[in-house]
Amino acid sequence: MNAAIELRILDFLQQPDEREFESIALAIYAYQREQNPAYSRYCEFLGQSEPAVSWKEIPAVPQQAFKRAELRSFPASETVIEFRTSGTTGEGFGRHFMRSLRLYEASVQGGWDYFRLPRHPLLLLMPHAAVARYSSLSRMGSILTNDRNDAFFLDGNGALQVDRLRKIVSESGGPFTLFGPALAFVNLLEVIAELPLPPGSILMETGGFKGTNREIGKADLYSRLSECFHLDFDSIWNEYGMTELSSQFYSNGLGSAHLAPPWLRFMIVDPKTNSEAATGEVGLLRIFDLANLWSVLAIQTQDLAVAQGRSGFLLLGRDPEALPRGCSRPIDELIRRSISTKRETSGSIANSNAVGGPC
Amino acid sequence: MQLADRVEAIASAAREFTWLDDLTAQNIERWIALELGTLLNADGPQIYGDHHCTAQPLSPILHVISGNTPHAGIQSLTRGILVGAKNRVKLPRQGLAEFDLFVQLLPAELRPEASSSLRQDWVEEAEAIIVFGSDETVEFFARHISPRQRLVVHGHKISLGLVLGPHDENTVEGAVQDVLVFDQLGCLSPQLYYVENDSVEFAKRLAARFNELFSGEKAASEWTSEIAGSLRNCREEWKFRAATEPETHVWESPSGLDWLVIHDPRPDLVSNPLYRTIFVKPLPQNLEPVLAPIRNHLSTVGVHPVDSRTTELAIRLGAQRVCPIGKMQKPPAVWHHDGCPTLANLVRFVDIEGLIWNG
Repeated sequence: MNAAIELRILDFLQQPDEREFESIALAIYAYQREQNPAYSRYCEFLGQSEPAVSWKEIPAVPQQAFKRAELRSFPASETVIEFRTSGTTGEGFGRHFMRSLRLYEASVQGGWDYFRLPRHPLLLLMPHAAVARYSSLSRMGSILTNDRNDAFFLDGNGALQVDRLRKIVSESGGPFTLFGPALAFVNLLEVIAELPLPPGSILMETGGFKGTNREIGKADLYSRLSECFHLDFDSIWNEYGMTELSSQFYSNGLGSAHLAPPWLRFMIVDPKTNSEAATGEVGLLRIFDLANLWSVLAIQTQDLAVAQGRSGFLLLGRDPEALPRGCSRPIDELIRRSISTKRETSGSIANSNAVGGPC
Repeated sequence: MQLADRVEAIASAAREFTWLDDLTAQNIERWIALELGTLLNADGPQIYGDHHCTAQPLSPILHVISGNTPHAGIQSLTRGILVGAKNRVKLPRQGLAEFDLFVQLLPAELRPEASSSLRQDWVEEAEAIIVFGSDETVEFFARHISPRQRLVVHGHKISLGLVLGPHDENTVEGAVQDVLVFDQLGCLSPQLYYVENDSVEFAKRLAARFNELFSGEKAASEWTSEIAGSLRNCREEWKFRAATEPETHVWESPSGLDWLVIHDPRPDLVSNPLYRTIFVKPLPQNLEPVLAPIRNHLSTVGVHPVDSRTTELAIRLGAQRVCPIGKMQKPPAVWHHDGCPTLANLVRFVDIEGLIWNG
């Protein structure tokens, strides 16, 4: 049964036919209800006894569920890989198990190609998957480079190999794709003022600053990246993915929507009702990823977004610090503080953002 | 303005606010007497042991007010006025309507200078700075003020309740009311209750009472997208946990996001988005190690019953205030805010020996 579904999804990834999305999604749902005990109990808890008739009705697990249970739609003994979230929020890490990498590999490469992202050499600000064995991002890098060891510029200790990067960029003629987490770019910007990339190059950043106390606005980041690497904003891309997913959304430049390949759909959910939000309303992002056969197809993220037509959304993200909390202290903040570095603040008091926040 | 007139002016303004009903002239006089005796009297130094003493205000006082509850600002200003200081207030950017109203009810000569941005000259001129805010804000001031200036800090706090032995309808009603005041945003608001006897039953009764209070034609709570998103995330995560983890139960408002009660059998501290979200946990054998991470941030412990057993436990846990459940957001006027005297902190004691007073 699972081999047949896997093949069907692989076919879809290679030759997407939008009309097939729903029937494949419903088949995956039925399979996961049967094979994934934690998901099955959750669906029963929600009172979802009848089969879903639309992909939008498929119950979505909260993203946090990956930290709470093993959401595995196959026997544990058949696990070939496990990806883990960073665990920077202090609540432990989420785990995403896979029975095979076929879907993941097809989705990563397929999504890249769907958006016509260049196949020229990648320079990856991340460690190799052999070093970071639980990192889905490193695995993605391996897939996109055919596992070329010299494409990775972060060593096992987390140190950026800046000199090697500078040498390759300045000595090679062709365009590159510089790809890495936003935090790695911030670190890179601290040690290099300018590193012009050859014409035709692009830059791909992903992820945020969760748990690092190293916040920087996206516009500010793009501006600094643009200056340092001599790229216009449209050559700077963002990959929106997560350990719990097998597929990725992409956007380029500032203020543009994140778009999905055909095997990835989303729905904006009104948090007040937990059902689909009205057009143009801000809500929580719910994602349906056909390549997530081995865990759960539908995931409710913690991110706020607003739909931009059927195929894209503007990501607003989430910022727990922005929540007005009065003077009641968040317990999780205490947990986070114990594992994160102390915030560095400087400058005059009157100019500081440290004063006058919500509380 | 004489002390008696200042007392009357504050009591008069406070009469317009039901939640300031403890701030009567009589209570204020008692408060001054408890902390400073007669040392604030204008008719000269008072006998103090074998010599004389007078209390002179630290002036000007800069009050840095943040947050969304007006309590903190009014309390702080009241203290500054009572000691006879000139007061300057840095308000939150979004303003604080009740605070403004309180100020308008004061005689013009007692009104503080106020600004929503922080002025460097105010910081430099202040003899005392009272800061309400996050650890980051407090740390920031601690680094930037001169050692000659007195810094009084009121950081963010966590409060909770302890229910030992049998509980009844009054306990439940009190527990619900404590959650409702300021929608839990005050630092004295409970984030969780530890219950000794039948914690599930206590949680059920809380939920039933919330349901009564929010049923009928009352309009659903209107939260911002950020708040609603965070409340929805919490609901969905705990519903997943209720479906997959034993003894975990969730009760939620039938529609909307009015309230949420969660029974969690584990004693550990958990993240709470507030806005009428309350956790109920069984009281563990030894609560002290569980609460050790928040010991320095523990403010009020509401207890039932108020007896030697509950009080001793609360003190051991690090409580700065112990009160009956149902009174958590109603500290007496003479309380030691965050464990410190509130007026004596804002004066300079002048000791005079060998005085022959001519006044």
